[in-house]
Amino acid sequence: MADKPSDLVQGTLDMLILKTLALEPMHGYGVSVRIEQMSNGIFRVNAGSLFVAFERLQRAGMIKSEWKTTENSRRAKYYALTERGGKRLDSETREWTKQVAAIARILEAS
Amino acid sequence: MSLLHNLTSGLRSLFRKEQENRELEEELNGFLEMAAQEKMNRGMNREDALRAVRLERGSLGVTKEIVHAARWESFLEACWQDVRFGVRMLRKGPGFTAVVVLMLALGIGANTAIFSLMNAVMLQSIPVPNPEQLMVLRWSAHNRPQSIGHSSYGDCRSTNWATTYASSCSFSYPMLKEIREHSTVFSGIAAFAGPAQLDLSGNGPASMVSGEIVSGDFFQTLGVGATSGRTLDLNDEKPGAEAVAVLSYAYWQTTYGGSAAVIGKTIKLNGVPFTIVGVADPRFTRLTPGKSQDLWAALSQVAALRIPWGGGNLNKSDRWWLTVVGRIAPGISPTQAQTATSLLFRDEIVHESLLKTADEPQVALLPAQKGLSGLRSWAEEPLILLMGAVAILLLISCANVAGLLLSRAETRRKEIAVRLSLGAGRARIARQLLTESLLLSFAGAAVGIFIAFLGANALAAFVVANHNSALTLNATPDLTVLLFTVGVAAVTGILFGLVPALSGTRANLAPVLKENATSMTSAVARGRRRVGPGGALVVVQVALSMIVLAGAGLVVRSLANLKGINPGFDTSNLLQFGIDPALTGSYKEAEVQNLYGELQRRLTHLPSVMGVSYSSDVLLNGGLWTSDVKIEGRADKSEVEIQMLAVGSDFFSAMRIPVVAGRALTPADMASAHEVAMVNRAFVKRFIENREPLGLHFGGYGPKDTLYEIVGVVGDTKYDDLRKEPEPTAYIPVKKGGVSFAVRTVSNAEALVPAVRRALSDLDSNLPMFDVHTQNERIERMLFTERLIAYLASVFGVVALILACIGLYGLLSYEVARRTKEIGVRTALGAQKRDVLRLVVAQGLTLVAIGIGFGVVGTFGVTRFLKSLLYGVEPTDAYALLAVCALLLLVGGVACLIPARHATRVVPMVALRYE
Repeated sequence: MADKPSDLVQGTLDMLILKTLALEPMHGYGVSVRIEQMSNGIFRVNAGSLFVAFERLQRAGMIKSEWKTTENSRRAKYYALTERGGKRLDSETREWTKQVAAIARILEAS
Repeated sequence: MSLLHNLTSGLRSLFRKEQENRELEEELNGFLEMAAQEKMNRGMNREDALRAVRLERGSLGVTKEIVHAARWESFLEACWQDVRFGVRMLRKGPGFTAVVVLMLALGIGANTAIFSLMNAVMLQSIPVPNPEQLMVLRWSAHNRPQSIGHSSYGDCRSTNWATTYASSCSFSYPMLKEIREHSTVFSGIAAFAGPAQLDLSGNGPASMVSGEIVSGDFFQTLGVGATSGRTLDLNDEKPGAEAVAVLSYAYWQTTYGGSAAVIGKTIKLNGVPFTIVGVADPRFTRLTPGKSQDLWAALSQVAALRIPWGGGNLNKSDRWWLTVVGRIAPGISPTQAQTATSLLFRDEIVHESLLKTADEPQVALLPAQKGLSGLRSWAEEPLILLMGAVAILLLISCANVAGLLLSRAETRRKEIAVRLSLGAGRARIARQLLTESLLLSFAGAAVGIFIAFLGANALAAFVVANHNSALTLNATPDLTVLLFTVGVAAVTGILFGLVPALSGTRANLAPVLKENATSMTSAVARGRRRVGPGGALVVVQVALSMIVLAGAGLVVRSLANLKGINPGFDTSNLLQFGIDPALTGSYKEAEVQNLYGELQRRLTHLPSVMGVSYSSDVLLNGGLWTSDVKIEGRADKSEVEIQMLAVGSDFFSAMRIPVVAGRALTPADMASAHEVAMVNRAFVKRFIENREPLGLHFGGYGPKDTLYEIVGVVGDTKYDDLRKEPEPTAYIPVKKGGVSFAVRTVSNAEALVPAVRRALSDLDSNLPMFDVHTQNERIERMLFTERLIAYLASVFGVVALILACIGLYGLLSYEVARRTKEIGVRTALGAQKRDVLRLVVAQGLTLVAIGIGFGVVGTFGVTRFLKSLLYGVEPTDAYALLAVCALLLLVGGVACLIPARHATRVVPMVALRYE
């Protein structure tokens, strides 16, 4: 079971995408690989959810996109964080940390 | 901001759909390629790598669908698809579509038409800037003011006089000045009275115009400008001001063709020269609903125009005759304004000793939109009743269409089952069916608006033609009406679409798809379930049409009762018209008698005329003159209220009112100083009891008031109202004032109008004839509300009946078609034609009977709202109800027969091989 990828916690995909893009602009596949790598293979994102999330974030003005050429000279759409997206990432990270700490305290209580 | 962003990018992708799709495809392709490339780098061959990626990440097609579905604009696209598909489905059954659209158009059209009238009468705001700031002043007190002369002109709801309470919207001119000068809560005060019927000459032949007498600041207060020339101002109200008039736009257009040369022109009103100074803004069509004016003149001209209101002298504080409207100043609340005005009123009224402080005189400010009722005061109730009737009609249409859709959904069962089994969601199918319903209802609404446009204008014209004073009613649908129609269409579509949409998607797939094999058993199984929702819909239709028909029946019977009333005089072949010599300004009081006598003589000599007389008022025309008198020899010394009518000689013979005792009035009585009178039987019965009436005196209680000697007794007649029992009435000789002539002819009184007109103009060409109508026309107009409701309710009732029968017919035809096989088996097993006939007819009539049962209950609940319209019929009249029941059963039976006969023609072998 350990090597089977888990589903993402509801509502966290947007945050993870923003975090990934905060490091550097990236194309769709890159983002999915990065999330997988950073989570040590725990999270695997399928293409449907990923592109719906891109679409949603782009319409909300959190990220922007641009066609570029990859290092393998392939055309790909690169996504980058906007100023708005950066702010949203900060606030969501803070909120998340708070919640996780709280949940952990509840679970550890005996 | 992000919402806007979302909206714009959504719209962009909607319009650049092709390009967006290509980009998405390229991006997704790239994604899969990259993922596959990595696997190939690890030694997998290309084909395996691609398959693995599809498994891990989802296939290209599915991903594309997911991304598409997540966009909001895809919902719009799906709706558009539904609409296109719906249109295709509807075009496949043009007959069905036409029937449904027509039924809905009738229902929605009738609703829109009545609503347009309601809108025109009750909802449209006064066409002036910021009408919500306008307030009507209405005073009230615990006692009626001491000896005031009071008049009103139908602007406010009727005045209320009781022993401990009095209230009205009429004020004296001094009170108007007081409020105008000392009040700080209004930015403007407008007062008006009328309209007065004015004799206009100096522009072709003499004619009567409606002129409102208004304060100088009337137009400024209302915020109405002039489209040409100027309006009135306060200088025009000063004593001795030049006589000027402002024309209404409509009058200017119809009479002067909109010519600018009219400004500065002189016309004569009641013989007095007036200068036309301007034409009012075209948008200012009315203040009080239904009341329209041809022109306006300032208050200062009342005496010159010989208008008796206000006692001919503006400064009398005991003449209350002006309706006052104030525009609340900015920053003042209505409550503040009311308190301040109330105080002003109380101080002034107590100061003039017309009322005491203990009577608590006060003023309430009513929003002008509500307070100026006019037409609304009598049209409101009939309109609400009619609105109820058309709402029921629409419900019947809905039930009918729902029934049709239901039976069609049955035939589409297979199509829907196929779509469901191919993976379409139930919600999606329901949405599709609902879209079709909405398409139908909006198509119905589009046709309905057209029907409503014709209907509302015809109705408005009918109302205008039957109203006894000048009236304008603009029932052309406006934005409010259109919104109403769209709303009704949406609600209708959902209402009738919901049942089939829900039941259509509840299909159990397997048996439906296998229908051919098992149709026999499933048909029998369903047949045992009786008729289900379709039957319920028919019951609803029958019950609702029963209510409309019963209502119509009651009103029609009342109307017949009212028309059958004997008014106490002969109403046939009687032509009446008014003249008022005082208005021309060229007759002295004594000459008026000669004029009337001469006109009476000349008219009597016209061919086919049998009798001519005249009176101060026309019977059964709505007018009434009452007076408080003391009667000689009564034990009770207090004065009593009697009805009065001043009449010319030969009045009773011309009207064919029997003289039962004493003598009739003679030409000599008209000029004699000895005052005589006739009274009716009701007078004798109530006030004189067992004594001899002839020779007794009655009259006013002041020492200077005339005392009349009773010289004759006549039969009772109705005076102002057909429904009222005859009241004690006295007839005195006409001594002054304008009169109405009554001309009795051998046949067709109307044909005499040109000859009468010629006779009058030979006598005096400056004397206009007005209010020319036959007595029967007047009675028809008095019964206008009853006629309108009886006529429309009958039409609606018949439409409801037809709709219900179509519903019943449709349901049974469908049932017979569905049970063809069953009927075939029954016939094969020996059932006779009559058994089959009974099977179908019994099913139909059972539904009708159940519907009638509910209908009777509903009728009892609803017809009591008709009470004020009924005459001589109880709201629960058994005859009317029985007649309607019989009618429904009869027509229902006919509707059953056709499908039943179809059923009897089923040939067993054909039926069994069917399908």
